[in-house]
Amino acid sequence: MTALELSEIQSFLLNDYKEMSCSKYYLMQVKDAVAAKSFLAAIAHGITHANATSGDTSLNIGFTSNGLKQLGYHETNMHSFSREFREGMVTAHRQRLLGDFESSNPSIWQWGGPANDRVDLMLLVFGKDEATVENFYKELKQKFEPGLSVVHTLDGRTLPNDREHFGFRDSISQPVIKGSGVKASGNNNDIDPGEFVLGYKNEYTVYPDTALLKVAQGKPELLADNAEGLADEQTKVKYKDVGRNGTYFVLRQLQQDVNGFWEFLKKQSTEADENNRNEDATLLAAKMMGRWPGGAPLVKYDKNPGKDVEENDFNYLKEDASGNKCPFGAHTRRMNPRDVFEESPPKVSLNLTRRHRIMRRVRSYGEDFIGSAENHQPNGEVGLLFGCFNANISKQFEFLQYTWANSPKFKRLYADPDPFIGVREDPEKKMEQIFTMPGETTNRVITNLQRFVHVKGGAYFFFPSITSIKFLATI
Amino acid sequence: MSEVKEDKLGTLKTRLEEIRVSLLNSQLAEGPTEFGKVSTLHYGRWVILSRDSFRDEPAIPVGIRLALSTNYDGVGNDHEDYHLTELVTKLTKYIDDLYECCVGYPEPGERTEDSRKNFLKKGMIRTSAFYIGAPGRSVSQIHQEDALHQHIWKFLQNNKWDENTPAVEIHRAIRQEIDSKPEFAWSKEKAGVQGIKWGPLIAYGLLFIVMLPLIIVWLIYLFFFHELWDKKVTLAQSELNDAKINELKKVEDIFPQNQFTQVAVLKPGFARKLNFRIWMLRTKVLAGDVFVKGKLLNIPTIHFARWVLIDNNKHVLFYSNFDGNWEQYLGDFIDQSGWGLTAIFSNTVKFPRTNFMGVLGIIPGMPLTFPGTKFVLTGGAYDEEHFLAWSRSTQVPTQVWYCPYRHLSIKNINNNTEIRNELRHDLNEKQAKLFLKRF
Repeated sequence: MTALELSEIQSFLLNDYKEMSCSKYYLMQVKDAVAAKSFLAAIAHGITHANATSGDTSLNIGFTSNGLKQLGYHETNMHSFSREFREGMVTAHRQRLLGDFESSNPSIWQWGGPANDRVDLMLLVFGKDEATVENFYKELKQKFEPGLSVVHTLDGRTLPNDREHFGFRDSISQPVIKGSGVKASGNNNDIDPGEFVLGYKNEYTVYPDTALLKVAQGKPELLADNAEGLADEQTKVKYKDVGRNGTYFVLRQLQQDVNGFWEFLKKQSTEADENNRNEDATLLAAKMMGRWPGGAPLVKYDKNPGKDVEENDFNYLKEDASGNKCPFGAHTRRMNPRDVFEESPPKVSLNLTRRHRIMRRVRSYGEDFIGSAENHQPNGEVGLLFGCFNANISKQFEFLQYTWANSPKFKRLYADPDPFIGVREDPEKKMEQIFTMPGETTNRVITNLQRFVHVKGGAYFFFPSITSIKFLATI
Repeated sequence: MSEVKEDKLGTLKTRLEEIRVSLLNSQLAEGPTEFGKVSTLHYGRWVILSRDSFRDEPAIPVGIRLALSTNYDGVGNDHEDYHLTELVTKLTKYIDDLYECCVGYPEPGERTEDSRKNFLKKGMIRTSAFYIGAPGRSVSQIHQEDALHQHIWKFLQNNKWDENTPAVEIHRAIRQEIDSKPEFAWSKEKAGVQGIKWGPLIAYGLLFIVMLPLIIVWLIYLFFFHELWDKKVTLAQSELNDAKINELKKVEDIFPQNQFTQVAVLKPGFARKLNFRIWMLRTKVLAGDVFVKGKLLNIPTIHFARWVLIDNNKHVLFYSNFDGNWEQYLGDFIDQSGWGLTAIFSNTVKFPRTNFMGVLGIIPGMPLTFPGTKFVLTGGAYDEEHFLAWSRSTQVPTQVWYCPYRHLSIKNINNNTEIRNELRHDLNEKQAKLFLKRF
């Protein structure tokens, strides 16, 4: 097994920093490329890498393709970055893929949309509390000020017990990167590094497309050769790899309509008694998620255990081939189909599932509020700063969003989009949107699904290795 | 395929674009379309095929051609003639507007049903291999069974049964409901569903066993004397031409279904041509007799697919109509049948080099793994990044694409037929429960 070069990889990929209660993401613009590059040179050694001992604060950095252009990245070199990253999250085609319409239309985003200030890069500061982060940021600001300016700040919070605003426990099933030193998790969650880090082999045992330096600029001697051994046809000199030990980060600000969500579910219930109604609404919510609010998987718990259960050791074929326990359309069953990937045999399914995983890195924003059937009215806007790392945005994040979440034709279903992240407010005519819960004889169906998650901003970032940050300072 | 007059190419492109836009607008508004008048038409597409469509140098010089491809129901004694008549009589304006840009199309005064049909016939090319996801289902049957599914679905929604009601009783209630509706009278007749034809499959298997030594020698010869000498291809997706990719993406993912048109150049030499023919023959046999349950080489999302040899058999055209998006479709190709694709397309130039020919793929369903080992076959389609780049770069923009049931997946279509047939069977409790799971 290839060991990862941990001292080169930015720490957020391997450490979710859930223990740090305050996370701030500073979205920035390049004002003066020369000054911005001297800032990069100055902080490169201060970017937290995956081998660093954890302190009170951690700092990571991501660039958009605009940002690299602003720094003077050569157009030919730019072209060897993945198309998704180069084009960014907002294009006409990508809008269709991601389903960003109506209230999620990029034209009305708070940041990252065509009407917003251009985002070039992002500094991510994690700290044990607000004051620590603020102090750290003040120091940073003195260093970046002439070269960069902040256009938007995102305030991330970690809610107690890893819950998110709807009330569910989050990030239970995470992949573990082989060779990262993190303890193997088993249960099909141990994934080849090339699914998350450029310069390593992926689950197809090939190297993912990486950012080669085809035209010399800056100080290429800082960089290593590409692992695949690709070379210039004429000179036979191997290309340097800017992507090596780097990764792509997807960030989407998802506003959550917590009140709308629980009110909708309670309306589905025919129970007269309020307690029973709440219980039924909680069951429906769990059916949509695939887990009870405390995390207990439906496959193993047909009744709400009423406590936090982080259990992740289960599959679907033997336990629940019919979907009677966990519906086929449930969010977690779609996002990680485990041993039932389409109609492939279980062993093949597990292999295929491993090719479409993401490393989730999420924060909540707004009031520290955990919703439930009984209590679902937060103060002001609340939501999730959804983030994920992947080496191939198209095969991983976009595939999950389009093929597994937005498509109402998922598996054998007819009209079932992902009830959390796939519902359209203005679907094409005749397209009903439903959620089917298979039952012993007849199915229970929720019709006229509504959307309770609204995209408010988003962008694709490249998280370079420490060496590549130093290199970018020289271009 | 018809030769386009060079000075008319601009006009032709404009007219195709007008047809595309007007079709799209009608579809988005759920209104009737011109193509809908051809009631037996499943899929249809027009593609401009010229030197620019080829990523690689064509094996022979090619002009500008307009290719028309349709999937249609066989009606009457002469299916082909019936279909052509429908096309030229119901889409007369489209046919005239487009084909008057082509060489040899009858002058305005000479245009009759027959002269139009004869023109189209002249350009007809036989398909080398063809796959149907729902064999035997006509357009009208697909629509009827869709309506049946929807009606039963609503019936189940509007009626609540006690938890303890046996499934057989609900099944009976559904049948009574359908029997009471004259518009579903057609459903009393069982729909023919093609089964796997064991005869040809066994004959094929026996032939394979007899030929095995020869096949092994052949594959070893191909590998050591041809494949090994081909240049390694390292084209990555990031290197593809942006303008072309954007043109392709402009028309993708508007509906739950998409199309794919591809043209590739066969590698020179007799060995490659023969190998391609062998694999085409195999695909043709299996697609007709074995892949009849909605899966082509295990891929569960394809409605129709076809391979056509053109230009003196030097170039191969591939067309398909599928559910989901490009990334999913090509991913399925690698994951489910990378060996099958590799076997066919490794005979075309600049396909990612394989490390071993797909010898085991000749046996349908044969597992490709030995215990404790990785794939026997590596490279080719399994060279994921380079294979995807190959697929995108050999893809050709499709100017006009039509489907009358774009909201139905191939799984939906096959499931609907099962619903219709199972409705008429007397099911036991277990079967009735499975029947109810279909909704």
